[in-house]
Amino acid sequence: MGHDAAAPRSMAIDSGLAGKVALISGGSRGIGRSVVELFAADGVDVVFFYRDNAAAAQEVVHGVQTAGGKCQALQVDVTDAAAVAAAVDQVVESRGRIDVLVNNAGIVRDNLLGMLEDEDIRVVLDTNVGGVFNLTRAVSRHMISKRSGRIVNLSSVAAGKGGRGQSNYAASKGAIEAFTRAMAVELASRKITVNCVAPGVIETEMSQAVRDLADEQIKARILLRRYGQAQDVAHAVWFLASRFADYITGEVLHVDGGFKME
Amino acid sequence: MSEQAITQAEIDAVFPKVAQVVADALGCELDEVTPKASLIADLDAESIDFLDLVFRLEKGFGVKIPRGKIVEDARGPLPEAEFERKGVVTEAGLARLREFLSEVPADRIKTPLKAGDVPRLFTTETFCKVVIRAQRAAAA
Repeated sequence: MGHDAAAPRSMAIDSGLAGKVALISGGSRGIGRSVVELFAADGVDVVFFYRDNAAAAQEVVHGVQTAGGKCQALQVDVTDAAAVAAAVDQVVESRGRIDVLVNNAGIVRDNLLGMLEDEDIRVVLDTNVGGVFNLTRAVSRHMISKRSGRIVNLSSVAAGKGGRGQSNYAASKGAIEAFTRAMAVELASRKITVNCVAPGVIETEMSQAVRDLADEQIKARILLRRYGQAQDVAHAVWFLASRFADYITGEVLHVDGGFKME
Repeated sequence: MSEQAITQAEIDAVFPKVAQVVADALGCELDEVTPKASLIADLDAESIDFLDLVFRLEKGFGVKIPRGKIVEDARGPLPEAEFERKGVVTEAGLARLREFLSEVPADRIKTPLKAGDVPRLFTTETFCKVVIRAQRAAAA
């Protein structure tokens, strides 16, 4: 059994995800893209949102479809509540339901607090927190009616470990962990689980600047002495969406090579 | 706010479908869903069920029911400060509720009633009226 996300039908163990419908925000790049590819490889009918990189989104869709998977990309700004609600209704209209929601879309605008512009603070909170509220509110009402569902939110090691120049991002991810626990309580009676995956430093475009700036210092804080790959995170998301995580809710699963231990 | 009185004929027209939606949303037997049944006290609904119920009614009847609309309408023209004090519905508030929720047996609307417990009064018929008002609003 390969470690590669693009190893579709080789999964011998049934995750229960085949035939399910998943909605993933921020699916055109980085971790989101890996989640899209892994889910599609496991037989999930995947819809993902992307903000502005249509070429990257189309590349993902094409790749998945060529491998025999189901995938659709929708350009939706998660900070626009009305647009999110309309897009979610469209997905439910066409597919009848949404079984899994992965709140992955997120951005960074790193700088020392004193150097942050109002806009740097606002846009990070609007996207990383507001976007999660918008999507979860729109999708959960359908899950409540179906009395089942899985919600997986992307947090970050930054939520638990202070990082210089990341006050806005850290605050947004701390909010997501608190939101996850609150939603786990609110939705438990409808058999909807809500969990978090908190990645450490993953080799994606988003963490490029941080890695360039303090490569050795960061690695020195990671027990496994290497950065993570997007697939490492995707596997954790997949697990929490699968039937193997039926009895897990309100949890934060750290995928950080032991970063939090240092 | 003066509204044209809702007739029994209007309620009878929507009741079968509303009752079915309530039964589906709460997972209870259709014959338990009587017009006077309190959704919370008699049918074990929780607050999250109201969310689902309103969602299903919107879909089932093709209407829009704005969030918070039912409680807002229940308060009617009374300012919040006159409707409740320290979280308890005032005499004026109770009088308003008896008028607005005329389908609720009067003995259930008695002091002390916490403002947060107003939804406990809602019956199947309350939701019939919600649908009728939404249909009127859509037609206007």
